[in-house]
Amino acid sequence: MDKLDVERLGGFAGFGGPSARIRSRGVCAMSDLSAKDRSSVEDLLAQKVKSAPNPDEFVYRITKRTANATSTVEVPESMVPQALKNCVKDELL
Amino acid sequence: MCKYCTIVPHDVLVRLSKDHSFSAGVRQGLEKTAALDSEIRKLREQARKVTRVGLSNAPIGLAAQLPGPPNVVVYDCHHTQTLPGAPVVNPGSSGDPTAKAAFTVTTDLVRFYSQIFNRNSIDGAGMTLISSIHYGSKYNNAFWNGTQMTYGDGDGQIFVDFTRGNDVVGHENTHGVTQYTLQLVYANEPGGLNESLSDVFGSMFRQWQASQAVNQADWLIGKDIMGPAATAKGYICLRDMANPAAPHCLAPQPTHYTQYQPGMDPHYSSGIPNLAFYSAAMAIGGNSWAKAGQIWYKAMTGYGPSPNLKMGAFADRTRKVAGQLYAGNAAVINAVDQAWKKVGL
Repeated sequence: MDKLDVERLGGFAGFGGPSARIRSRGVCAMSDLSAKDRSSVEDLLAQKVKSAPNPDEFVYRITKRTANATSTVEVPESMVPQALKNCVKDELL
Repeated sequence: MCKYCTIVPHDVLVRLSKDHSFSAGVRQGLEKTAALDSEIRKLREQARKVTRVGLSNAPIGLAAQLPGPPNVVVYDCHHTQTLPGAPVVNPGSSGDPTAKAAFTVTTDLVRFYSQIFNRNSIDGAGMTLISSIHYGSKYNNAFWNGTQMTYGDGDGQIFVDFTRGNDVVGHENTHGVTQYTLQLVYANEPGGLNESLSDVFGSMFRQWQASQAVNQADWLIGKDIMGPAATAKGYICLRDMANPAAPHCLAPQPTHYTQYQPGMDPHYSSGIPNLAFYSAAMAIGGNSWAKAGQIWYKAMTGYGPSPNLKMGAFADRTRKVAGQLYAGNAAVINAVDQAWKKVGL
């Protein structure tokens, strides 16, 4: 089953930075997404371009893991489907 | 405003508009949305070009003399992620403390920029300041989206309402000032400078509101938005300009340029210029906005757009400006020079 590792980075608080004590991560199965969201995720992964966010806007690092390959993309929050935003959870370290 | 204009990428809208598994009506709607999205993107790019041309042609200082003070308006997203949300009538007397804070703190920030730096709003020409509150559900962030400020309520555990932090309000609005002045890109060294300028002016605003001298200020960023779960673990702020690597920070930062690596998150690398400003202001003494702030402001606004400006070049600008503004005042000139040397620049 294809899985998506999702991590939310940056923002005003600097989530997920090298020394940060706050991070936001989650995992979701591609099969749990709607057809529209799956299509959006595939489009994002196909971009392979690191888009710059607006100041303090969150960035999402999305990694798709299949049996044969792994691909990752980082995109501003405004481009991420709500279902993926919902799968991350903020935590203190 | 349709939220899908910004959330769904343009190419996805176009592809879906040609997908015959959707009804003709839906496809037509998607096509219209794609067209609107495209026009909005063109408008944004056009606005950036107009800003750039206007800045290069206008005599410095002219814009600030033109209109009166800016309007400050507040919108309520009602926990959606649709911007700007519904307008809040008379936010200054609202029963909603978040609406009231967004209005009163932003209005005070207008006064700060006007009285201390002779700047009329974000663009220097009286631009209306738009703040959207109650963005999303338990949203742990605040941001500037290129045209307005946006504030989340926090989850009540790690963070509380982001409008409670006057430094947060100062920080986000200053991203707008940077957009209309240096136009720094939001990555690598210019990104770190961009973040630092927002922390510097956000912290100065906080000190100005409290009438604090530099040795009375705590120099913490985000102290007033920390929630109970964060403080219970000993995290009292997001960043500490006086000690960027301190363990009481939720996001400790580097303190010397030798630690800088390309690709670093701007919120991380900003610790280097943050410490330089703190060191300069402390060495000069008095109020941070009186001399150190004037030097940083002139270096930020007096040279036109410099999107790819690096930290070392900005440091040299502040040295040059210190010599211009405070010629003959060796203590100030030396304080700025030593502050940057302390962080390796």
